[in-house]
Amino acid sequence: MSDAYQPDGMDPSVPKLEVRDVTVRFAGLVALDAVGFTVEPGSVHAVIGPNGAGKSTCFNVLSGVYRATSGSVRFGDAELTALPPHRIAALGMARTFQNIALSPRLSVRDNLMLGRHRLTRAGFVSAGLRLPSARREAARHTERVEEIAAFVGLTPQLAMPVGLLPYGVQKRVELARALCMEPRLLMLDEPVAGMNGGERREMAELIIAVRESLGISILLVEHDMGMVMRLADAVTVLDFGRRIADGPPEAVQNDPEVIRAYLGATSETEEATP
Amino acid sequence: MSRSTILWSAALAAAALVIPFYLDASWLQDGLFAMAAAIGAIGLNLLTGATGQLSMGHAFFLAVGAFGYVYFASEPQEGGAHALGGLGLPTPLAAVLAVLLAGVAGGLFSPIAARLKGAYLGIATLALIFIGQFAMTNATPVTGGHNGRPVPPMELFGFVFADTPEAPLVIAGVPFGALERLWFLGAILLLGAGLFARGVLRGRPGRAMNTIRDHEIAAGVMGVPVSRYRAGVFVLSSMYGGLAGVLVALVFQQTVPDYFGLLLALAYLAMIIIGGLGSVAGAVIGAVFVSMLPRLLTRYSDALPLIVQPGQEGVGAAEAAQILYGLAVVVVVLFLPGGLLGLITQLRLRTGRPLPAAAPKHSLTPTPETRN
Repeated sequence: MSDAYQPDGMDPSVPKLEVRDVTVRFAGLVALDAVGFTVEPGSVHAVIGPNGAGKSTCFNVLSGVYRATSGSVRFGDAELTALPPHRIAALGMARTFQNIALSPRLSVRDNLMLGRHRLTRAGFVSAGLRLPSARREAARHTERVEEIAAFVGLTPQLAMPVGLLPYGVQKRVELARALCMEPRLLMLDEPVAGMNGGERREMAELIIAVRESLGISILLVEHDMGMVMRLADAVTVLDFGRRIADGPPEAVQNDPEVIRAYLGATSETEEATP
Repeated sequence: MSRSTILWSAALAAAALVIPFYLDASWLQDGLFAMAAAIGAIGLNLLTGATGQLSMGHAFFLAVGAFGYVYFASEPQEGGAHALGGLGLPTPLAAVLAVLLAGVAGGLFSPIAARLKGAYLGIATLALIFIGQFAMTNATPVTGGHNGRPVPPMELFGFVFADTPEAPLVIAGVPFGALERLWFLGAILLLGAGLFARGVLRGRPGRAMNTIRDHEIAAGVMGVPVSRYRAGVFVLSSMYGGLAGVLVALVFQQTVPDYFGLLLALAYLAMIIIGGLGSVAGAVIGAVFVSMLPRLLTRYSDALPLIVQPGQEGVGAAEAAQILYGLAVVVVVLFLPGGLLGLITQLRLRTGRPLPAAAPKHSLTPTPETRN
């Protein structure tokens, strides 16, 4: 398996992500009930649904933070459900967090350098003794981090502690940190939550730019329907832990089940066929 | 490195060089204890400050280092019930082995250290103190029991770090006894320990450690093997404790189990909290503050109100120091979250420069050569 990407989405090194019959139970509460979908290589796939539908749980299963009770998640040849988070990261899956999960006292540069963790090797001894190999490695990866920061528009803030930056900028640092992992699949958990109109537009443009220049798959959890319809190639709709619709945005938008879930009609949790 | 950093380093180096020529033995001894404390505090700050793993058992690893050194370096002594074991190894080798032994002790505990986080680890490490106290007072052939045992002086390439009345060493009219000689050894060890820790903190491991502290889940998702890092930092911190223990033993010239108790462990926590969590400079500042405070209060007790001379009724210098550093911890926690170091940084930021202007947007292209 190669780590190298081409700028177009046709590259075979970006594998398919297949989620099949994933069920997650928390002591009696079924957070996800036999959910399945496939993220095609190089596509933008959105997972939407009302609050508590299981979107974040789904992300946490994919990134190894939660264990699935049953079901399978395959990324290329790898089965993810049995792997710890750092092994999943090593496969080239990167994610951002809905609630910002950065180190507030570290500079933007250091936060982004953490994204290079899986691509670098320096350990306690080589970093402590400042061995030439560790210094060369740090210099090389700092260069790439600065490139990514420029792309995301964070160059002026590189030296600033993350905790001092406005919320919208911190969200961009989250995205940049995930990009620093040189991911093959980028998972964005509500990238525009809590942002104002201008910031939303900028973030949407950024996501489009990522997709166009890197050609990687993007899995998106989002509440902002306008943004989902504009960005996504495919949409999966969850409601109460179940998949109630799956398909291209136009089809999903007009699905009666989806309209019912979003508008809160008096439907009980009946089985929906996609 | 900025110019002020270079100036500061030069001033500190000059001070370290000149001090043994001017200060008397008791000041040097306190200075040496401060150096040993600084090495230990740097280690604890790697674990507690930078990684967010509370340890109340740091004194245990100092004890392992101190008694390890004594055991490895001493010649075995016959004497019936008071027989003392020892390996009689060359002292530099004994010191290295003692540090490694502390690392091994930390390694034995690391399966626990890897699985517990924050305050829970603090409770678990508390057990080490009590196990250590029990072992030290009962393993008489190794530790000398309750009264401890004498420490063989360090000997490097034929140079003895001890008083040598038969062949006195006099430099620039100043007789160089054990403390003057140890001063330079301590300064070099502290410099090495500090630089190593700074390299770790500013490099790849440091970023991983900080993220484990700030957001454990994010660290894992970013590819950091969280448990392995927690275990690794615990071992490293134990080795720093071991080195501090060796130095304490050399300065004390007698190791006593009672010294390595819970109070010492808490003093180390006080040092890193007062000085500043998560940095080398913070650990050093805190160690100097906590170690030198009793000494300064004793020295100037006649000039200070409410503090009595030794031997009189009332609050003595040692008690006043305890009260003051307890107070210092409270004040720092309430008003100075960055510790004394944070205070210094804030004062320096007040006179900072404006940030550079924004740069235009670029497009991102994959670069395969930075990918592995």
